[in-house]
Amino acid sequence: MIISHYMKHEHRLCDDYFAKAEEAASKKDWEEATKQFEIFAHETLQHFKKEEEVLFPAFEKQTGSTEGPTGVMKYEHEHVRGLIGKMAEAILDEDVDAYLSLAESMMILLQQHNMKEEQMLYAMCDRVLPVATKEETLEAMKQTEL
Amino acid sequence: MFSQKGLSLDQAPPISVVFRFFLQGASFGILGGVLLALYQNEIFDPASKGALVLTHVFTLGIMLSVMLAALFQMLPVIAGVKLTSPAKKANWVQYPLIAGILSLLLAFHFGKIAWLYLLASLLLGGSLLFISFEMIKKLLQVPNHTSSSKGITAALFSLAILVIAALYLTATLGGYSEGIHYVQIKTAHYSFGLFGWIAVLIISISFQVIEMFYVTPPYPNFANRYLSNGILFLLAAASILSFFLPDIWMICHLILALLLSIYAIITLKRLSKRKRPVSDATVWFWRLGLGSLIISMLCFALGLFVQTAWIHALAYLFFGAFALSIVFAMFYKIIPFLTWFHLSSQGYFTAPMMHEVIHPKTAKKHFWIHCSMMTAFIMSLIVPQLIVLASLLTVLSFGWMGYQIIHAHLLYVKTQKEGHKFSMNA
Repeated sequence: MIISHYMKHEHRLCDDYFAKAEEAASKKDWEEATKQFEIFAHETLQHFKKEEEVLFPAFEKQTGSTEGPTGVMKYEHEHVRGLIGKMAEAILDEDVDAYLSLAESMMILLQQHNMKEEQMLYAMCDRVLPVATKEETLEAMKQTEL
Repeated sequence: MFSQKGLSLDQAPPISVVFRFFLQGASFGILGGVLLALYQNEIFDPASKGALVLTHVFTLGIMLSVMLAALFQMLPVIAGVKLTSPAKKANWVQYPLIAGILSLLLAFHFGKIAWLYLLASLLLGGSLLFISFEMIKKLLQVPNHTSSSKGITAALFSLAILVIAALYLTATLGGYSEGIHYVQIKTAHYSFGLFGWIAVLIISISFQVIEMFYVTPPYPNFANRYLSNGILFLLAAASILSFFLPDIWMICHLILALLLSIYAIITLKRLSKRKRPVSDATVWFWRLGLGSLIISMLCFALGLFVQTAWIHALAYLFFGAFALSIVFAMFYKIIPFLTWFHLSSQGYFTAPMMHEVIHPKTAKKHFWIHCSMMTAFIMSLIVPQLIVLASLLTVLSFGWMGYQIIHAHLLYVKTQKEGHKFSMNA
C-alpha cells in the first residue's frame, strides 16, 4: 500500500493548508490567507502533476487503458484548477464572501475527488503495479516538482 | 467501476429531479403544519388518528421525499451507481407517491373506507417497491463497496420490508385481512421505518459526508464496517423471533438505542475534531440533530420500562428533531452545490456561487426557526396552547425551505437563459 499511503498523506496536507487559509480569510487576515492559500495551491498543483506525469502513465501502461479512471481524475483536476484561479482572484480582491463561497464548492469537489482516488484508484495502483514499478513510481513522484 | 466523467453531468441525475423531491418534502411539511392546527394536542396520543396522520406526513411526506432526492443524487457519487433514465424513474415514483400519501392520509383521517386503503396500498406499494428494488439491484452489482454503499443497501432493504409490512397493516385496516399478527407486524413496520430506514440511511450518508464536508478524521472501523448491517440484522432477527418471543422487541430496541447513541457521540466527536474551523449553519444542524438523537434514544430506552405518555412523546419529538435537522444540514449543502456545479459544468462562467444561491445567513435564520419550532413542540407538552405556535412555525420552516428551492430553480433557469457560456471545444 505504499502508493496509497504516500498519496493519502499528501491529500491530508493539502486539507490542512486549505483549512488554515479558510480560517484566515474568514477573519479577514489577508496576509495569512494569501500565505496559506499559496501553499495550498502549490501543494495541490504539484500533487496533480505527480499524478498526471508519473502515477497515471504508470497505471495506464500497466492496464493498457487511458480512458478509464485516470481520464475521470484528469477531468476533475481541470475543474479544481479553474476554482483555484477564482479563489486567488477573491483573495486579491479581499472579498471574504466570494472566497468562502468558492471554498465551499472547492471542498466538496476536492473531497469527493480524493475519496474516489483513495478508495479506488490508489488501491488499484497498489494492486496492479509490480513491486519494482511501484517503488520506481514512488521515487519519481518524490522528485517531481512544480 | 468508474464512470467516464466522475462527478459529471453524465453521471448525476437532472437537477430538476432533486429539486422536485425536495419541493415535495417542503410542501408536505407545510401540509403537516396546517394539519397540526387541525389535530392540535391530540397528536401526543399514539392511538389517535391525529398521531397516525401526522406521523405519516412526517415519515412519508417529508422524510421519504427528501431521502429519495438524496438517493437519486448521491447514489452515483457515493456508490458509483448510475440509474438509467433517472428523470423517467423519478416520474414513475413521484406521482404515484404523492397520490398514495394523500390517499393514505385521507384513509387514516376518515377510517374504515376500504377502497382508500386499497388505493394507497397499490400506489405506495407499487412505487416504493419498484424504486427500492431498482436501487438495490444496481447496488448489488457494485464491485467495490464502501461503508456508505453497504449502508444504503441495508437502508433500502429496510424500506422494502417496512413497505411490505405496511401492506399487511393497510389490508387489515381496510378489512381485507383478519390481521392475526397485526401487533407484531406493526412493531416491525415502525422499527424498520425509524431505525432501519431513516436512521441507517442517515448514518450511511454521514460516513461519507461528515468527512467530505467538514474534513474530519475518519470514523472508527467498527462503526463504518458493522453498524448499518448490524442494525438490519437486529431488526430482522427481532421481527422473526417476535412471533415466538413477544418481549424480544424490548431487548432489540434497547440495543438499538445504545447503538444509535454511540453513533451520535462518535459523530459529534468527529465534528469537534474537524479541520475546517468555520462553523456554518449546517454544522449546527448536525449538532442539534445528533444531540436530539441522544435525547430521543434516552427517552426511548426509558419508555421501555416506564409507561409515561410524555416520555414516549419526547422520544418521538426528539427523533423528529434528529431527522429534520440532518435533512436541513444536507439541504443547505446539496442545493447550492448542485446549482453551482450543474451550471459551471455546463460551461457558464456566470454560474452563481454557492453563497449566491443560498447565503449562509439565510441558512442560519432557518436554524433558529427550526429551533423555535422544536421548542414550541416540546413546551406544548406543558402548555397545550403552544401547539398552535408549533403549527405556525412548522409552516414557516417548510415555507422557508420551499422558497429556497424555488429561488435556486429560478436562478438556475435565469443563468441558463441569460448567462455567458464558453465552449470547452472552442
